[in-house]
Amino acid sequence: MFVSPARPEQQEKPILTNGIKIFVLLFFCLPFAILLLQSFSAGWQWPRLLPGTFSWRAWQSLSREPRMIPAISITLLIGLAVSLINLILGIPAGKGLAHYRFRGKSLVEAVFLLPLLIPTLAVVMGIHIFMIRVGLTNTVWGVILVHVIPTLPYTIRIFRHAFENLGSKWEEQAATLGASQLTIYRTVWLPLLIPSIHSALMLSFVISLSQYALTAIIGGGNVVTLAMVYFPYFQSSNRSVLACFTVIFALLPLSFYLLMYSLYKLFIRGPGHYRGC
Amino acid sequence: MRSLGLNNHKPYLLVLPALIFFSLFVLYGIGTVFAESLNLSLNTGSSIVKYYIELAEKPGFWSGLILSLQVSAAATLLSTIIGVYLARQFYRRVPDSIWHALAWLPMLIPHFAAGYLAVLLLSQSGWFSGLLAQVTLIQETSRFPVLVNDKNGLGIIVTYLWKEIPFVLLMSMPVYRRMDWRYEDVVRTLGGGQWQVFKTVEWPALLPVLVETGIILFAFIFSAFELPYLLGVTYPKMISVMAYQWFYEGSWSNRPLAMALMTVSTVMVLIVAVVLLGLIQGKRYRMMRGR
Repeated sequence: MFVSPARPEQQEKPILTNGIKIFVLLFFCLPFAILLLQSFSAGWQWPRLLPGTFSWRAWQSLSREPRMIPAISITLLIGLAVSLINLILGIPAGKGLAHYRFRGKSLVEAVFLLPLLIPTLAVVMGIHIFMIRVGLTNTVWGVILVHVIPTLPYTIRIFRHAFENLGSKWEEQAATLGASQLTIYRTVWLPLLIPSIHSALMLSFVISLSQYALTAIIGGGNVVTLAMVYFPYFQSSNRSVLACFTVIFALLPLSFYLLMYSLYKLFIRGPGHYRGC
Repeated sequence: MRSLGLNNHKPYLLVLPALIFFSLFVLYGIGTVFAESLNLSLNTGSSIVKYYIELAEKPGFWSGLILSLQVSAAATLLSTIIGVYLARQFYRRVPDSIWHALAWLPMLIPHFAAGYLAVLLLSQSGWFSGLLAQVTLIQETSRFPVLVNDKNGLGIIVTYLWKEIPFVLLMSMPVYRRMDWRYEDVVRTLGGGQWQVFKTVEWPALLPVLVETGIILFAFIFSAFELPYLLGVTYPKMISVMAYQWFYEGSWSNRPLAMALMTVSTVMVLIVAVVLLGLIQGKRYRMMRGR
């Protein structure tokens, strides 16, 4: 089957086109705008559509929360470790599924899909006693390990698609030229996989950031991630302070992205000169 | 796809680390949950399914289960429908990637943070209620319907929609990019309209992806704890919140009940997955035989 890249001709219906854009703005973007306004508002009287006065007060009072900086550091650390473990386990698994046919492959695929089906809450309840026995409860390592459970299936998926799209010709060519396995990974796959590594890192980080129940059960209240601080705030704190806190949750993935970006700019020469091949 | 000999050990080495990780945690975990949900101290003469009987008699179990099913089914169906509609319109009418990026924004923040946005916008003293008051549709906050912390989980459903529509977009946009649009010309030449194009050209390509997305979403929403905990009510409680509280409370006496509840929800998710997968399997079979 030939796939024609041609996009179907667009009939001119500007009303619908604009309607879609307005929907995107109202449904997806407006909440962020209200959130930002709320975080800078000092007393927002119902039913006003804009806050009466703006101030830094809520941000200042959040900055006085002593658990904030340690919680952000531990959250970044856990997110970073979870993302790296995801790459280490996910890249080979994705390659194995994409480039090889082997006995028991459908069984392996099923096992890789299971964590998306079986409730992670159930899994964590099941391994709780085991984690106590091996001394991983109440530790950062224990939390990192359980955060890998809901993230790894997505990472494997991302790399499987990437390797399927790239094919195995690149590797064969490099091998023909006498490159070792390690050289192939470093010089062929790594640059080609940058976009997928990017997606996998971001997805793992955001999912890790979103865990409350898993962290509470395995961390036992000792591993205080940002989510652990946020939940008690949700019921008690004032609206503007909670808005600031929520803005931080949106800023963290963004700063993580920038951190990763500058890291691999430092260590890997960009994919630019491979593109021409 | 390289199909080397079956004796090659390379693919096994590649998948082994992830396989060990999942076996150690996921398979062992769910196995333990099932084992602990059974009453194995048979010396007292009590039934092996004692905890399941207890669970069925617990006040709030059935209403919680029904609520969980409603919320997950509604959020999954609606986000799939709206997500596919948006993907279709994006592909046909709004090709500029800046709009796609805007629609993906919600994926950046955790579910519970999105829950706070629901409070800001949809609660009785929220922004929308203020908007309605500005256009004099309501006079006081109490006239605005209870959408957050409501008994039917409406706030939870809307928040899931906000978070999952971008996910459906992410999954279905590639399908649109890969589609063979010459089929559309065929349909149009034969006099078919928009609906015919969607049904005969787009739907068959979308279906497998949508089934996969639907299963992932249903399984996730059915068992997620964070949003129902923050946006739910004390009664009825969604089952994930019930299980978490039984598991986490000081005394461990309710732990077997939590395990039984988690086993029930795992079985329900697996049933839904098998039914949905059966849908496309049957379809494939029909296509193989020439419909």
